[in-house]
Amino acid sequence: MMSNLKSKLQKTVLLTLTAIMLLTSVCVADDVPYVTYNYDYWKNIVYTPAAYIPDGKIEGTSILDEEGNSIGAFKSPADVYLASDENIYIVDSGNHRIVVLSGEDYSYVAVIDGFTNENGEWETFTEPQGICRSDDPNGNIYIADSGNNRVVILDDNYELVHIIQNPEQGDNVLEDGFIFAPQKVIVDYAERLYVISKNTEEGIMIFNTDHQFEAFYGQIPVVVTTWQRIWYHLSTREQKDRQTLRISTEYNGLDVDPNGFIYASYLDENGLQAVMRLNPKGNDVIKKGVNQNIGGDIDILETNSYSGKSTAVDVVYRDNGIYSFLDSKRGRIFTYDHEGNLLYIFGGLGAQEGCFKSPVAIEQNTNGQIMVADLVQNVVLLFRATEYGALINTAVGLRFDGDEELAVPLWEEVLKLDANFELAYVGLGKSYLSAGENEKAMDYLEKGMSRQYYSIAYRRYRNEFLVENLEWMLTALVVLVVAGFAVTKYRNRKKYRDDSADTLE
Amino acid sequence: MKKYFSRDKWKYSFYCLTHPADGFYEIRHRDRGSVPIALFYVVFYALCYSWNRLGASFIVNDTNPRSVDAVSELFGVLLLFLLLCIGNWSITCLMSGEGRLKDIAIIIGYSLLPMILTLIPATVISQIVAQNEEAFYYIIVFLGTAYSMLLMLIGIMTIHNYTLLKTLITVFLTIVAMLIIIFCAMMIFSLVSQVIGFFESVYTELLFR
Repeated sequence: MMSNLKSKLQKTVLLTLTAIMLLTSVCVADDVPYVTYNYDYWKNIVYTPAAYIPDGKIEGTSILDEEGNSIGAFKSPADVYLASDENIYIVDSGNHRIVVLSGEDYSYVAVIDGFTNENGEWETFTEPQGICRSDDPNGNIYIADSGNNRVVILDDNYELVHIIQNPEQGDNVLEDGFIFAPQKVIVDYAERLYVISKNTEEGIMIFNTDHQFEAFYGQIPVVVTTWQRIWYHLSTREQKDRQTLRISTEYNGLDVDPNGFIYASYLDENGLQAVMRLNPKGNDVIKKGVNQNIGGDIDILETNSYSGKSTAVDVVYRDNGIYSFLDSKRGRIFTYDHEGNLLYIFGGLGAQEGCFKSPVAIEQNTNGQIMVADLVQNVVLLFRATEYGALINTAVGLRFDGDEELAVPLWEEVLKLDANFELAYVGLGKSYLSAGENEKAMDYLEKGMSRQYYSIAYRRYRNEFLVENLEWMLTALVVLVVAGFAVTKYRNRKKYRDDSADTLE
Repeated sequence: MKKYFSRDKWKYSFYCLTHPADGFYEIRHRDRGSVPIALFYVVFYALCYSWNRLGASFIVNDTNPRSVDAVSELFGVLLLFLLLCIGNWSITCLMSGEGRLKDIAIIIGYSLLPMILTLIPATVISQIVAQNEEAFYYIIVFLGTAYSMLLMLIGIMTIHNYTLLKTLITVFLTIVAMLIIIFCAMMIFSLVSQVIGFFESVYTELLFR
């Protein structure tokens, strides 16, 4: 009897414990080593589910070449690039080599550690910093061989095509003593090569299809505030001489979209913008969204060392107008859509698995994963989309293509996971608007803080209301006017009668 | 009570709207005004202001509804009113103004009437405007505010028996005086808190001895 009771008790305790464990494991499905949040219309922080979660990493030691030997650990990987042949190129800067991996399973394809020059001699790279490949799957590979101040162009079989070194000073665009120190390279659909050269504030260098230097492109404008201008006028000649020159900052990351627009990350003075979208003329055509802020973190005015504007180090153009940039200050990845709406934020610094120590380069691979190269950990970290992130990506993609109706069920799912996502409310509101459910549309559009569409919905709602109710409203008005008229008349007459009665008396 | 809230006094505040110069003159010289009514207008204005911030339609309203707090806004308006009265009084005392503190309080309170009378209909009208039509709302609010400012100016001019130029100078100096008062208040606050802190630490020292 006693033992029976005891075993029953044990069972209950066990069951309860299991239940608790199950429940908690459900609750912490989004257990990621960083905070995930977003900014709402009023620039307040709103915590969200994680859009991307850590999904392992690529380590040099675990990659085996054809003979089954490890290629050895990466050393200061500087860039990671997904080429059109679906291979991943990792610039293993410290080991002076390029590691080519298969885009699907990250298995070994090749290691490029040098090339044969025109004289038949073997040449190696010195601390390469960037890589890119032309759109054509059999096209050229461009390697920014920074330590040797050159860009090396190899063909499909890693044979030398051309070396860009000491670019010609064609129309006197380049100053005397110009030092060509390529950092990042990208090539567009027309085989134009864009190069960021170190300490070059004139902008990005363009090289044409013949590998000749053409022009500088997209110089970052220098912003002088009124306050700085006043100070400058007030200061003496000696003070002016000692002031630092106000020169443009430099770009530090590049990507190109299928239409040939260049996405370039840089350090903005005010922290309001981290990425430029440069059109072929070199003008910035990026959209900034409702908050007029595409500079990463908004809430930056604290005084500790961890505060301050986000420091963009690289940008990746993903599909459907979505782009992400990498912030090395707090190790966060900010993702925006083509209208400049902040979609989600993830990533963080730290020693935990899935955190960064010194992130330098970001890329998206064919599996939809985000790859981030870490200079200190010597690995490439991988992140995969959660249901939440995937839903947003797909819905924004549909919106970008103009299929807003198809996005409606996705936005509904997003709202189930995150009831604070304003873009989803706007998406749903717009669909109700086109379905003619104006009152519902107003509700959603107000939650999504879209004044423009709210106003359209409201105007339609008001018209409907008037059409339905104008008849009795006008009737009531007429009745009231007539009644008021009659009452006044009656009163006047009565008064007149009383007055005349008074006078008669 | 009857003296302050008589029907005549209520009506007189509206008379001041349409005849500011005469109206404010009689407030100064024939005691036609009432401080409690002026205070009532100030409180009522604060409530209208909060209601407008909270209740105006989404089209014209860019206020975060979570940031609206009627009580703290009421105290803010009352504090501003107090500062304005004291600031103006302390300046006009030195600049041979004829108005008493009582008159200043009354004309400032009565001058808020146009703002009250426009904020309420403006908030209602905001409910039925769409984008591009919000100009109606802004015109109403602007007219009310402008008229209130004008009344305040005429009021100060009349009760102190000033010229226009002198009034403008006084208004400017009033603002300066208000800033000085705020500065002094904050300084006293911080000094007093330091003194209190000192005695507190002496007390704890003694306690742990």
